[in-house]
Amino acid sequence: MDNKIFKKGIEIIDAHIKGEGISRRDAIKLFGTGGAAMLLASGATTQASASSSAAKAKIVIIGGGLAGMSTAARFTNSLDNPDITVIEPGDFATSYQPGQTLVGAGIWDVSEVVYKTDDFVPDGVTIIKEKAVEFDPKNNMVKTSSGKTVKYDYMVIAAGLKLDYARIEGLGIEGTITSSGDHSPVSKVIGKNGIASIYFQKGSADTWTQMQKFIAEAKSGKKVKGIFTHPNTPIKCGGAPKKIMYLTDARLREAGARENAELTFYPNGSKMFGVKEYHDAIVNQFEARDMKWNYRHNLIAVDPVKKIATFNRHWKEKGEWDPDLEEYSIVPRSKKVEKEFDFIHITPPMIAPEEIANSPVGSGKGWVPVHKETLQHVKYPNVFALGDIAAVPMGKTGGSARKQYKVVVENIISMMEGKEPTAKYGGYTVCPLITSIGTVMLAEFDWSKKPTPSFPFDPTQERYIWWLLKVYALKPMTQYGMLSGRA
Amino acid sequence: MKKTTIALLSTAVIFGLNGCGNDTPSSSAPKTYSKTPAEVYAQSCQKCHGEHAEGNPKKKGPALNDRQAGELELDLYDVKNGGTNQSSGTEHDIMEHNMQKLIEKGYDYDPKAMAEYIEKNFYKREVSETD
Repeated sequence: MDNKIFKKGIEIIDAHIKGEGISRRDAIKLFGTGGAAMLLASGATTQASASSSAAKAKIVIIGGGLAGMSTAARFTNSLDNPDITVIEPGDFATSYQPGQTLVGAGIWDVSEVVYKTDDFVPDGVTIIKEKAVEFDPKNNMVKTSSGKTVKYDYMVIAAGLKLDYARIEGLGIEGTITSSGDHSPVSKVIGKNGIASIYFQKGSADTWTQMQKFIAEAKSGKKVKGIFTHPNTPIKCGGAPKKIMYLTDARLREAGARENAELTFYPNGSKMFGVKEYHDAIVNQFEARDMKWNYRHNLIAVDPVKKIATFNRHWKEKGEWDPDLEEYSIVPRSKKVEKEFDFIHITPPMIAPEEIANSPVGSGKGWVPVHKETLQHVKYPNVFALGDIAAVPMGKTGGSARKQYKVVVENIISMMEGKEPTAKYGGYTVCPLITSIGTVMLAEFDWSKKPTPSFPFDPTQERYIWWLLKVYALKPMTQYGMLSGRA
Repeated sequence: MKKTTIALLSTAVIFGLNGCGNDTPSSSAPKTYSKTPAEVYAQSCQKCHGEHAEGNPKKKGPALNDRQAGELELDLYDVKNGGTNQSSGTEHDIMEHNMQKLIEKGYDYDPKAMAEYIEKNFYKREVSETD
């Protein structure tokens, strides 16, 4: 199709459906069942192109979340005699995490994102419902929490990441949690007193309760302050800290109470997005909504009683002349600053699971070090990693995992057949940035740090059609397309 | 909702999902560099990171010989791009600033090629790995 005509057409559709309004029922019809059916159809073509292999090997996958289970499914589809074991202790590891933003803003119920691991274990795959706690990659062995030893020919590490709320002082939290596991150490304090966090399931439901209280206060005429944080570690779904802020803004407007609330984003970094085009678009969107931001603030403590957040504010000053650099050197400066809040959304620091970070397959920073294109471990050729735990730039999204799991499967099968692993991940990822109730900017990009739109029109525009994609199509696409190893 | 709208919308969605399923080619042509990693290292990096990437505490330059290329590349990527995430910031605040100045002076490099150069020439295996 001619790009110009297509572009014009899309713009007309976008404006038209927005103007006309699409009922939830119609949308579900189109994007829910229709989306899933289409995926299965398109999945069939993907399937046909990846011919089945007769090679044999014992494959162990650490982690049965979206990345691990999709990998297991694709191996099952691609091997004549699959021998696949998944080690996953979580009962709800295959839950739909991208939906937690929508739960936090009251658009979905939390039950709409909870999925049982058992329902997504592909036929023929062995599941060990334990944690892998010891790694001995020289002897191709892992040990599980009950002391069981599991041998492998190839290991795929897809164990995800841990949420480290304990690093924030004043909350009285000890230990790390996962998004769908036991949340009790954290939910006793987060989800109350105006403190919210969508990064774990219970927290996402509680965020909506806290947000409603905040909006009610604003509506009653009180001048209120909402603050939104972004830590100094890599995080999963880099857009979520902003999405929940956009949605708070939208809910306040809906209630006619926006003018009583001051909303401020405090990220550790000094930009909105690593891709300039998207950064600029977001700055414009923030300005248009009177959403404020203050860079270089890292949340270090929260007083839940006085409702004060303490940040490490950091900046750089000009130092002495450096003859080696032939420039003035730079001196880092920082100080603690306190901010009062009525509502705070905390994006926690995130780390690789401790038992993997500190093992021979981990690294100084914890993430599993892999060659970023082939996803093969830098030290152990028969070990691969993908998803949140892989040390890959910009990679911690479901959109990245959707590209990565096919690369891992193709490369391991090549090695099983005695060939070199030549499939490459190009760094593609996608952030459907929710900018209001009814609009999304579909930010697609890769390591070139340029927008890489799948569609021939301006990717920096907020569109209703992407909202429909986010709210109705992406979940069936993920839960039925990707977790079956097809899409 | 009108039938035509549904038809149009479906078309858009089919395009959308197919688009998502396809491999997206990188939008930029491969970048070229005026100096090789060896030249950049010898003329600039070694002043603060040591002749053999062993580090130079006086200049607060950390060792670079303790990591393999795959791991080092992520650090170099972070340095050159001011972080690997949307708003997390960089783990190398000072070096990010210095790197921008060094790029202006012509000491630019491809993170992958530089990481491979450093591993090949300077990487020191940990004792536990040699057994």
